[in-house]
Amino acid sequence: MKHEQPSLEHRLIARLALVGAIGAFALLLFIAIEYGLTFSVLLDPDQLPVVTHELTEHVAIPILVLIVPMTLAGRWVIRSSLRPLEVQARNIDEATENERGFRVAVESLPREVVPFADAVNALLNRIDTASREQEAFAADVAHELRTPLSVLALEIERLDHPAAARLKEDVARMRRLIEQLMILAQLDIDMPQTADERVVLADVAEDVASLMAPLAIRQNRKIAVEAEGEASVTGRREAIAAAVRNLVDNALRVTPEGGTVTIIVGPGARIAVRDEGPGLLPEKLDQLRHRHRRADHASSSGAGLGLAIVSRIAASHHASFTTLPTQRSLLLDFA
Amino acid sequence: MRVLVVEDNQRLARLTCDGLGAAGFAADAAGDLQAADAALAAASFDALVLDLGLPDGDGLAWLRERRQARSVPPALVLTARGALEDRVAGLDAGADDYLVKPFEVAEVAARLRALLRRPGVRSDVELVIGPISFDTNRREAKAHGERLELARREADLLELLMRRAGSVVRRQTIEDSLYSFDAAVTPNAVEATVSRLRRKLEQAGCGDMLHTVRGVGYMLEERT
Repeated sequence: MKHEQPSLEHRLIARLALVGAIGAFALLLFIAIEYGLTFSVLLDPDQLPVVTHELTEHVAIPILVLIVPMTLAGRWVIRSSLRPLEVQARNIDEATENERGFRVAVESLPREVVPFADAVNALLNRIDTASREQEAFAADVAHELRTPLSVLALEIERLDHPAAARLKEDVARMRRLIEQLMILAQLDIDMPQTADERVVLADVAEDVASLMAPLAIRQNRKIAVEAEGEASVTGRREAIAAAVRNLVDNALRVTPEGGTVTIIVGPGARIAVRDEGPGLLPEKLDQLRHRHRRADHASSSGAGLGLAIVSRIAASHHASFTTLPTQRSLLLDFA
Repeated sequence: MRVLVVEDNQRLARLTCDGLGAAGFAADAAGDLQAADAALAAASFDALVLDLGLPDGDGLAWLRERRQARSVPPALVLTARGALEDRVAGLDAGADDYLVKPFEVAEVAARLRALLRRPGVRSDVELVIGPISFDTNRREAKAHGERLELARREADLLELLMRRAGSVVRRQTIEDSLYSFDAAVTPNAVEATVSRLRRKLEQAGCGDMLHTVRGVGYMLEERT
């Protein structure tokens, strides 16, 4: 962004130059009056050295002695008082997108800037409150939808109509979406960096595999775990499990019937989920990380939200979430 | 098998009861905790399907209280909360299993059957999963009516898999329940027992019901 306003330093130099020029002119005037200098004297070559000497001593030197240190001091003051602002700006930039309760540290700022910083903090407050309310609302809506959706699902089960199967699929899709919404909302609400459990990745992998295997088997797909080592990470077990669950869910979606989804733990603090789909390109993963966008090969059952959830959980655990298209794997690296 | 459905949404309660009825259960409904207490006092139930948000109190607190008095049959908790932490809380409070709304009746029925197959819950001597049956007293197994010749460990394994049919049984669990603590278990002893059982099931025409979840354990499929 091109900034239109000149910097404070420029302004200071320009004003000091102006002040210097006015001062010089005033001094010249005084000298001219005091010494009775006239243009004829100035034009007299014999008088020139005397005049030059007078002007240097009473005009140029005082001006330089005042203006130069003032300029330097002014620049110094400006720079040192703006430095805390730069630091705060960097802090604001570094605050992650989910970080709650981040505020500008007002005490480090020069008093003149405090009202501005206070206003920024008030705005952050309002944003936090608004997003908390929005998330609570999303969770409430998802919650409230469950009972009517149960009734709907059960009514459809009793229907003896060719459309019943399609309706059932729709309900299943809505149910997944609600689940994902609730997970997202819960992550946002109580995800902060408070999680400090030791989570053994191989345990999580086995839990997720045994939880999801019955469903996979019903869909004629297999789940396997290949665990190497006892790597553990610091974080929230339920959240990491939710991330792996969503990865497996996504992998099952792209794996053809009869195929196997493999959860690979290690080497080190890594969990990869390998599918038998076409492999996901990095650009596609980037799209999928953002909610509401969906890759071409994903079915229309809300997989986009699933990977957004994984991405969110990875970020809050300082893990990288990448795709290895040639190995048909999605990788969570906690190192 | 008699089941009490505690659910305040009347339509949901009726539909659940109807569905369970069609699945072979005798189901009664109670609209709140008071009605549930009255029903439990009046008749004996084999299992409980419990919704958590009830008009006259929290289902979990009620369950914890009744559990301490040991007066409640195994409970399958229906929760609308789901997601991250509630599962753990539900199981801690004495729920034997939980299901997140919205659910399908077939799933409720399957979970209830699994609850009732747990050792000590009911004195049924015969376990039946699809074409396979197992007499727990005589330790005899049949598949499609044909008797299976099983060694002791194979029979123990089949019983374990049948009691947990529809969910994955971990290798470690199998090892713990098939071998005594001091027995030296070779790393592939479990695998060997499983593959012998699998061969016998295959010969009887139900080998496809036993699934391997590589790196985790085994599962006997529950067909409905």
